[in-house]
Amino acid sequence: MEAIENPNPPKGFAHPVEAEFARLLDFYRIPWQYEPRTFPLETDPQGNLLEAITPDFYLPTHDSFIELTTLRHALARLKHRKIRRMRMLYPDVSIKLVDRKQVVGLLIKYGRGADLPNLIGKAEVADASG
Amino acid sequence: MHPADHTLPGATGLGPVVFSRDQIRNRVAELGAAISKDYTGGTPVVIGVLTGTVMFVADLLRAMTIPVEVDFMSISRFGPPGETLGAVRVLKDLEIPIGGRDAILVEALVDTGFTLSHMLSALQARRPTSLRVCTLLSRPQRRLIEVPLDHVGFEAPDEFLVGYGLQYRGQFRQLPHIASYSPDDVLP
Repeated sequence: MEAIENPNPPKGFAHPVEAEFARLLDFYRIPWQYEPRTFPLETDPQGNLLEAITPDFYLPTHDSFIELTTLRHALARLKHRKIRRMRMLYPDVSIKLVDRKQVVGLLIKYGRGADLPNLIGKAEVADASG
Repeated sequence: MHPADHTLPGATGLGPVVFSRDQIRNRVAELGAAISKDYTGGTPVVIGVLTGTVMFVADLLRAMTIPVEVDFMSISRFGPPGETLGAVRVLKDLEIPIGGRDAILVEALVDTGFTLSHMLSALQARRPTSLRVCTLLSRPQRRLIEVPLDHVGFEAPDEFLVGYGLQYRGQFRQLPHIASYSPDDVLP
């Protein structure tokens, strides 16, 4: 299987944490693209896409993808499984998962602790569709 | 692990000791010896990143057995919109020119690699003969971009850490050890 261009290009960030992460990348002058590629994970015999993952960010200068999740560990199980399968099917592609604990750690480290309820609190609903 | 030090004023949230004073002292001595060996016959410039490295740099210098110069650099931190300019900028630049010199960048903690990557790019532009990195702590499990680390004191657990230069809201830098900390603004 091969990565394809995201068939549903995003019109904006799906979650406030993603917007904040983009601001962090801009701060460090790290070029980024938002959801540019979709990685098929499973297709039917006719080649129709059954399951795929579209990582949130691609860092072209580091040739690396980053997926953010603000879901609690139990709810993030599907995402973890997709990441594992992506690593198995695309071993040459670098994908990093930033989980809820790391997202919270980053926000606190960068002085956004007071905004955590706004940035993370409503995450479960918004992120469940990702 | 050691019991929490609750003798500090405002120590609410301070957890167990993760790296004790003795562990730090011994490891810093090893790092100082290793770096001295790397630069035998030379006089490298040790560059500390303010403010978290102050204690580490001071102890590291005392553990080194070669001639050395030291300087510090400070860069702006990412923060809330309106409080942070669009991109990182240098708040305090080096006073020692490092062009044509061996330089060692000293960090307290490397996790995502964003800050270090930026610092390395900025310093490489000054064309040092060599540029190496020594960090007291590294969290490879949190790395988002790869950065070269030549000397690592300890691999740090995935916990919020304070002490020995590391802070939370400006506090706890003076602890002689490194302890875990539970910020009160972490979501349950």
